[in-house]
Amino acid sequence: MRWTIRIRVLYQAFFLVVFLWLLARLAAGDARDLPFSAFHHGDPLSAVGVTFGSGTLPGALVWGSVLIALTLLFGRAFCGWVCPLGTLQQLSSRLFSPRTRRESLHVNRYRRWYAIKYYALAALLVGALAGTLQTGLLDPLSLTARGLASGLWPLLPGGRPAPGGWVAAVLLLGILVASRWIPRMFCRGFCPLGALLGVFARFAVCRIHRAGDACTSCKLCTFACQGADEPLGSHRVGECLVCLNCLPACPEQAITYQALPALPAPPKEPDLSRRYLLGTVLGSIAVAPLLRATGGGREAARPRLLRPPGSLGEAEFLQRCVKCSLCQQACPTSAIHSAIGQAGVEGFWTPVVVPRRGWCEFACTRCGEVCPTGAITRLTPARKTGYDGKPPVSIGTAFVDRGRCLPWAMGTPCIVCEEMCPTDPKAIWFETVDEAGRDGASRKLQRPRVDVAKCVGCGICENKCPVGEEAAIRVYSVGETRDPLNRLLAGGLPK
Amino acid sequence: MSGPSTPKVTRREALLRLSSTAVAAAAVGAGFATFHDRRTVSASASAIPDWRVPQPGTGTAAAARGSDPAGNVRRAVAAMGGMERFVRKGETVLVKPNVGWDRLPEQAANTDPQVVAEIVRLCIAAGARRVVVTDISCNDPRRCFARSGIQAAATAAGAEVIESGRLHLATAALPGLSAGLQVVEELLRADRVINVPVVKHHSLSRVTLGMKNWFGVLGKGRNRLHQDINRAVAELGATFRPTLTVVDATRVLAANGPVGGSLADVLPVGAVLAATDPVLADAWGASLLGHKPEGLGFIAEAERRGLGRADLALVKELGTA
Repeated sequence: MRWTIRIRVLYQAFFLVVFLWLLARLAAGDARDLPFSAFHHGDPLSAVGVTFGSGTLPGALVWGSVLIALTLLFGRAFCGWVCPLGTLQQLSSRLFSPRTRRESLHVNRYRRWYAIKYYALAALLVGALAGTLQTGLLDPLSLTARGLASGLWPLLPGGRPAPGGWVAAVLLLGILVASRWIPRMFCRGFCPLGALLGVFARFAVCRIHRAGDACTSCKLCTFACQGADEPLGSHRVGECLVCLNCLPACPEQAITYQALPALPAPPKEPDLSRRYLLGTVLGSIAVAPLLRATGGGREAARPRLLRPPGSLGEAEFLQRCVKCSLCQQACPTSAIHSAIGQAGVEGFWTPVVVPRRGWCEFACTRCGEVCPTGAITRLTPARKTGYDGKPPVSIGTAFVDRGRCLPWAMGTPCIVCEEMCPTDPKAIWFETVDEAGRDGASRKLQRPRVDVAKCVGCGICENKCPVGEEAAIRVYSVGETRDPLNRLLAGGLPK
Repeated sequence: MSGPSTPKVTRREALLRLSSTAVAAAAVGAGFATFHDRRTVSASASAIPDWRVPQPGTGTAAAARGSDPAGNVRRAVAAMGGMERFVRKGETVLVKPNVGWDRLPEQAANTDPQVVAEIVRLCIAAGARRVVVTDISCNDPRRCFARSGIQAAATAAGAEVIESGRLHLATAALPGLSAGLQVVEELLRADRVINVPVVKHHSLSRVTLGMKNWFGVLGKGRNRLHQDINRAVAELGATFRPTLTVVDATRVLAANGPVGGSLADVLPVGAVLAATDPVLADAWGASLLGHKPEGLGFIAEAERRGLGRADLALVKELGTA
């Protein structure tokens, strides 16, 4: 029976390698059209969360139904066979914690607090219904991608810094280390995707079955149980990760995995308290307005909140973004970073363009191509640049700081921002003046001015500005295409 | 023992369990199919209705003078054919005074409360089912509505006064105006609309009158319109076509507008004009401040666009009561 486990390990290794490889290729700027968002497209937590949040199930997220269908057939096999975070935890548990059999028995017992994940799921989905999508905070695929991108990629040769990335890295590391004490602690106790699949696993056709009359209650099956689902007692199918470790462990071969086995009587359901669940639901309804009212609302002015090009308006954006960090990794100039405080509490870990770190490359549409939920819509280069004849897609407007700018304040020639400006005609132009210096001698100076109707807010001027620390030309979100109210100019002008 | 016993599941139980799985699958499938790429409900932009009624044969404007503002309103409206010409039984009327500022009536920054109240009374007498008085104030709306006297006077006259803190805004189609502007939702529900500006000096457009008064039904972003004020005011005049414009010149703010403050800037003119031609109404109001209509950019622009005629000879002067 050990062959089943070998096949499972092969699956786990395959999916982990593919997941890491896709992430690495994305960060490396692989120009091929690889399925970078495939894992996230198949994530039913994103599908359900985005649908609850926005009232629509965008594009390829419909693949999440396949994973639910598989769960209806086989139980939470995704968790045991596919999920990269599950595999990493299993590895960590095995590497760092050689356990005696007695210890194994102890750590693999079911605990009541494993029900927390169901409360977390309820809270996240009710929150989504109330208008704030936060599934990405705990979604294992988002967590893993973000933790690696923020905590590992910056350390690799050629790696680019990810300010604030330590939060995600520490979280991922913490989850892995926790497996030292309780194997797959995150899967068992906290994973909302696992909880969602657990709900459907209760209808699973194929499941673990223990032949009661053959069982000698030796407990060997529990020693390697990944889900703490008690194959020995009344098996908890919603907790079972279908690792199948219990099959070869049973000396009596009393345990089988089969279609439509007889159910234990009574079948064990999650230990949910109706009172707690009601409290969770009521509390979560209040969270969205509370986050808005006290965490810096959506209405608050966020002058430096530059969203990637093609992003939806802020309310719709926050109903769709699953904080997967793919756009961040796709960005060739490292312009996109995860918001810590820039987007309010609600927008924690959503993508924000930081021009001093990188600029939005004029004809690049990479972030929208990899966004799994359509929070950043897909643009064609012609649409983004305005070469299709319509106004270009703008993410903000550049403003010259005349007190810091070399020609404006220091009498020193400099043309870098104008030189870099990619629009046609350039949004940055020169006002040429004769200026008397300290010595009284007159010289010609070219002072940069911004044509706000032409500026797309790409930020290359701010990025390349030779004035150190705070640049002398900076991009603010006013004039962004996604918000018709955040405008400077009146009339039918494009801005 | 000879190996594990075979599980015993009756055919009935197997069918029941499979059907529950199938029901779960069907529910998920139906949910996903229903919501997949569903067009999310986006507020569709409503067109601004045209609230005018067919021109009465009695001319396009009438002005009444006298010390009683309510009497001036009655005489001017009567000369235009009476409120019954403009408001029919059962209609909802929106009255749009200028309640922009936290000022007292004597300071002449807002429309006179007696003028507003008399219009409300005339509408109700003409059979209006509901009269709404509203404006989006520039200062704190509660203070504006209270201290202008309009809250008390219009409520006493039978109107439903909605200050801007309690207003709902709707997305409307405003071609030619700045993108993304919202308008007072009540406006889209009203059958008839009466614009009741007050005559004031204005630092940018020189005078502020009826067409400029439409700023007060616009939401966030309206201040961008000042970038091209004459075109914007004419555009407002083309967008919002009121049933009647009643210009309040009980007191006229001659300087430091549109906020004012000093009583030294207030002229006691004691006149009210009722007009179906909004351009003529503005021209008459401007003339009270000594402006020739052709010298004002927004009036010239509105006339050029055919919104009305700024010919003061068309005003029927009713004299002093």
